[in-house]
Amino acid sequence: MGDIKGLGARHIVLVLCSFALVWLALAATKVPPLEALGQLVQGSMGSPAAWKQTFREMTPLLIAGLAVFLALKAGLFNIGADGQLVIGAAAAAATAIKVPGLGGVLLACLAAIVAGGLWALPAGWIRAYRGGHEVISTIMLNNIAGFLTVWLVTGPMRDPTQQSGTTAVLSSDSWIPAAVAQPPFSLSWTLPVGIVGVVAMALWLKRTVVGFELCAVGANRTASETAGVKVKGVTVWALMASGGLAGLAGAFFVLAYEHRFYANFSPGYGFDALGVALLSGGSPWGLLPASFLFAVLSSGSSAIQLTGVPKGLNGILLGLLIIVFASVRYRRSRLGDD
Amino acid sequence: MEVSLSGVTQRFGAVTALDDVGFRAGRGAIHALVGENGAGKTTLMRVLFGALQPNAGTIELDGKPVHFRNSADAINAGIGMVSQHYSVIPELTCLQNLMLGAEPGWLLSESKAKSRATELAGRMGYSFNWGDSAEGLSPAGKQKLEILKLLWRDAKVMILDEPTAMLSPADSEALYSSLASLAAGGATVIVVTHRLPEVMDHCQTVHVLRGGRNVANSLVAETGSRELAEMIVGHDIDERAVEQSTVGDVLAGVNGVTLKGYRGDDAVEDATFVLRAGEIVGLAGVDGNGQRELFQALLGRQRLSRGSIMFSGEDWTETGPRERIERGLRLIPEDRHLEGVIDEWSLEENAALGLQRLPPFARGLWVDSAGRRDAASRIADRFKTKHGGLRQKMSSLSGGNQQRYVAARALEVAPKLLLAFQPTRGLDIDGTAQVYGAIRQACQQGACALVVSFDLDELLEHCDRVLTIFHGRVQEPPAGLERDRQAIGRMMVGTG
Repeated sequence: MGDIKGLGARHIVLVLCSFALVWLALAATKVPPLEALGQLVQGSMGSPAAWKQTFREMTPLLIAGLAVFLALKAGLFNIGADGQLVIGAAAAAATAIKVPGLGGVLLACLAAIVAGGLWALPAGWIRAYRGGHEVISTIMLNNIAGFLTVWLVTGPMRDPTQQSGTTAVLSSDSWIPAAVAQPPFSLSWTLPVGIVGVVAMALWLKRTVVGFELCAVGANRTASETAGVKVKGVTVWALMASGGLAGLAGAFFVLAYEHRFYANFSPGYGFDALGVALLSGGSPWGLLPASFLFAVLSSGSSAIQLTGVPKGLNGILLGLLIIVFASVRYRRSRLGDD
Repeated sequence: MEVSLSGVTQRFGAVTALDDVGFRAGRGAIHALVGENGAGKTTLMRVLFGALQPNAGTIELDGKPVHFRNSADAINAGIGMVSQHYSVIPELTCLQNLMLGAEPGWLLSESKAKSRATELAGRMGYSFNWGDSAEGLSPAGKQKLEILKLLWRDAKVMILDEPTAMLSPADSEALYSSLASLAAGGATVIVVTHRLPEVMDHCQTVHVLRGGRNVANSLVAETGSRELAEMIVGHDIDERAVEQSTVGDVLAGVNGVTLKGYRGDDAVEDATFVLRAGEIVGLAGVDGNGQRELFQALLGRQRLSRGSIMFSGEDWTETGPRERIERGLRLIPEDRHLEGVIDEWSLEENAALGLQRLPPFARGLWVDSAGRRDAASRIADRFKTKHGGLRQKMSSLSGGNQQRYVAARALEVAPKLLLAFQPTRGLDIDGTAQVYGAIRQACQQGACALVVSFDLDELLEHCDRVLTIFHGRVQEPPAGLERDRQAIGRMMVGTG
């Protein structure tokens, strides 16, 4: 990730290139590209309601993106953000149902961080002390998290008055309120909190000894160990912190938007977060445009269907973006070796 | 094949690495190319090898001008190069390494390849188990394999960059006798080195570069090593007497330390020695005799099977690198890229690596940016690291300059126990003198230092005391023979 520094003109060109490729694909299927793109923009940014939807999508992507980003800085691929997110969401819902009010909200967030962190702990421990790769273990934990939460909402946590597997709706005093509410637009406090999180992450990595050591571990584990960094400890803590952040993303989604937890809660935010972290180009600031872009594509995807283009188009565009970025990264690192 | 380069100019951005340089080497001889770090030796050889396309200049082989677009062109023309860092891939077998990049065809016949490999090895008097993985090869074995790779590719011109940097004295001798037999067979051998005794003993011509320019070109028989040294540096060199520090109390004690090696056997057995305040102690030995493991144990990265390590009255046996660094341990590591620096980080960030929790690099748990910037510029200045700004990446520095920076970093914040593994690796005469001078100064202020080197002469010149290590056993020369080169040399190979 260190190869691409910041967000330069190069990144914008790359994004445009990806759009151009999609343009060609649309033209090839005889859909007017301008119309499709217009629908995408209209559906994601064309009205207050569309903005509301875009910001709603952006929140979990930004915070889970921050989670994946943190692990990446320590040289770890946290593919398990999605599982940590749903575990965090479940923990938050369970807590907020038991403890209503503002205290309950804070407690629910804390529970989500702890639950998400603990969910990542085995992966961190296995990587640090047994050398098992975190990609494998976090993927496995995703599946376990998925089945576990399905069982929870069809069993112990299920609201008996509901047909489907879901918890009860939280009482409205344990919802995270909107920072701006002008129907049909509204913006939850969770997005500003996420932005503050980005700022905090940027400062923490640059300005603290622990942040410095974490980046060192990500850049060169042997040199870090030689430099007196407790690499195993950093590995465990970085994955736990990453899991905690992903859990918080889940909590926010429950407390600010869904107000309940149900089976198959995440539409894959944790996976999209990998793309967000990759597109960030190694800088925490890059998470903001990257998560916004993902959110635009996601919230505009229903609108684009009106032109007869399948909803999967946004997936294609995201895939292209990531391939283009990754190939540029590969080219640059090869040059660097020379 | 006769090689002739003329008018070669190579610029990297604003830096002119080579300025109108010429070089000739005839067949059947060993030619030395000498000069300080950054004099342009390796650059010139990379031009000849086709790895760089110079801004100006011509290359002629046997009088015919040639133009190399890349190294593949040069290899096809019969030029081969062994760089300072061996390109042996440990996961492959010796035979696979030999063939890699020059496979005889699309379908590989193992048995044919093996018979040719054996024939080539036999010609040099080497023997290899071709099916074994290359991981187990000693540095000397890797060097031999590299030479066979040149023969495999039918190289007529063989360029070796610092070929003895990793070799013991005995292996170096053996290498030069191999090179001599290649030269006798008509090859053109070019050795890039800064070890003048090797030039005097083994080479026929010597070419001196300084600051990217030609300085001299003569027959070795017509020059002296002192004269050469002056041409390399550009000024007189003082014959320095070894200054001795006043030796104080015991600071560090290694007691009966036994360490497991990578293969599970004992890499170090029952090592016992002390380091006193004020003294530089050298650890002489052929590479691979347990120096590495002993260093890792002193650093706190390897657990002891038996024994203890004491420092300044404290038991260090169970402490890790962080605690030891806090108490004054400083390291000039063996493998800079692996252990010493983060290549893609700036000089400023690298200045803090290993010292990140100490002032002036940190204030409590916070990074002290101003303190780090000042310290980085002191570190760069101490041994005159040539750099393009402290915010440039570490990888933008040449190897010698990185070494200067890493050595200076180890001396920056109050060292008490300095561990230096080949501290002058890749450094020239001036740089070597500066680094040892600074280590001496730190010791005069009460630190102690343990220096590992494969170069016994360097240790005898700069250390107060020399220990030997052979097959994991650390020994002190008997009384009366403490500085006896012959006796220590015998102990290094286990016949003391």
